[in-house]
Amino acid sequence: MKKNLYFEDVEIGDDIGPIKRSVTDEDVIEFISVREKKITPSRFTSKEVANSEGLPEAIVPGPMNIALMAQVLTDWSDTVCLLKIDVVFRQTVPHNKGLTFSGIVTDKDETGGSTKLGCDVVMENSDEVKLVIGTGVISLPNKP
Amino acid sequence: MTTDEGIVYDRSLLGVETHIGTFELTREMILSFAKSTGETNPRYVGNNNGDGDIVAPPTICNVFVSGVSRPDIKLEFGEISFFAGQSIECKAEIRPGDVLSASTKLDNVYAKTGRSGKMVFAVWETKFRNQDDTTVALVTESFVRRNKNR
Amino acid sequence: MLLDLHTHSVASDDSRATVEQYIKWVNVLRRKGKSIDGFVLTEHRQFDHDKNYASLASDDGIIILKGAELDTDTGHFLVYGISEEITGELDFSDVNMSAQNLVDICDSYGGIAIPAHPGRAGIGFAEYLDGGVTGFETVKSVEQLNGSNRPGEGEKAESLIKAKGYLGTGGSDAHIVSAIGTCMTSFEKEIKNESDLVQELRRGRFTAVRLES
Repeated sequence: MKKNLYFEDVEIGDDIGPIKRSVTDEDVIEFISVREKKITPSRFTSKEVANSEGLPEAIVPGPMNIALMAQVLTDWSDTVCLLKIDVVFRQTVPHNKGLTFSGIVTDKDETGGSTKLGCDVVMENSDEVKLVIGTGVISLPNKP
Repeated sequence: MTTDEGIVYDRSLLGVETHIGTFELTREMILSFAKSTGETNPRYVGNNNGDGDIVAPPTICNVFVSGVSRPDIKLEFGEISFFAGQSIECKAEIRPGDVLSASTKLDNVYAKTGRSGKMVFAVWETKFRNQDDTTVALVTESFVRRNKNR
Repeated sequence: MLLDLHTHSVASDDSRATVEQYIKWVNVLRRKGKSIDGFVLTEHRQFDHDKNYASLASDDGIIILKGAELDTDTGHFLVYGISEEITGELDFSDVNMSAQNLVDICDSYGGIAIPAHPGRAGIGFAEYLDGGVTGFETVKSVEQLNGSNRPGEGEKAESLIKAKGYLGTGGSDAHIVSAIGTCMTSFEKEIKNESDLVQELRRGRFTAVRLES
């Protein structure tokens, strides 16, 4: 994570990340347990249930994927404030497989004292297939 | 019920706001959410001992969105539903102890075709307010219904 | 002249890019030494005759044209040169429209319909031809390069092109800003408007290209 990144430091086209990681079975159970005290088998936790729904394997819950996509932006610098994230799922996300998260600055709003940046964010699998795409709006402070 | 564009669903639900729940967010829930997503940002996880002032990660509302019961739109299509997309507008910080109230409304239903064949999308807009009636997040979610892969 | 023939703005349900952001990004690409002259907005299942991007584009010398990507009974088709007659004859929101009828109407009213991402499962032209669909004698081109293809889909498109002797266009299928221009179509002649585009597509004076690295 970058320390003290300021609006003036950033240009359109600047890369954010990439971050490589996978989501384990345990991660998914922990995520679901935030709300559900008793975990019942579902497409998110059970290969059998996933298979019965026509899926090849258990998948990562959509809300968890969004949290991971948002993290690419909030991990960029301790000065990032996430204002909005907007994602579209292109394909289901499997457990325990390598995932690459990356972002890029696509817009810089310099009107009226704004310090907002527009960013693309992408989650890809090891074949570079985009599983989740999205955009984020963040703000950074001005340089003191 | 209506059959706009060949889609049969309960059109009377369009634009009607429904309260879908009230949820208390604890520090433990925030830390568990952070742990599950590999979060290390001290803003959300505190200091090395997990102590200190924290706020919730910006997409925390999703924990509640995914578990709620929405009104049944009586969509007569498909065998299986998936989360298709979501937008979260973060309006204010969410902190441990906040009590969030959620209301939702059906915004749109439409059909398209994709790699999985015909799909029908239902789009919902959900607003989260805290105990001070401050809107903390605006969430737009899209769910797709389709037939199973054979 | 390099045009991205397949892009989506926020007018499409699954895109998150505005036209203004695409313009900024094209300028970023140019500053990085890449060549791109413009793009065609091919929104899903719709066409707005009233939208005019000329004022947005003129300052930067970027050509912005309009088309559509339509869902049909034979996969997705990219449509260019859309006239009032074409939108009057067809319901663009119909996800089961007859592709043959779409092609015929475009042929009759000065447009052109080209199979999009033909190697894609479920919505690609090749799968339907493999399944025995016939006709489409006036289709001479398909989308050869698509920036959103998954592994295997481009290869299937290439096989179709080889087997049928089709010409190939290129488009990014961009749904986010930074994807624009990843695949494009290189035209021999300058294109200023949709009529020029249809004319050059019909004359076959183009090739599909990837954004040079």
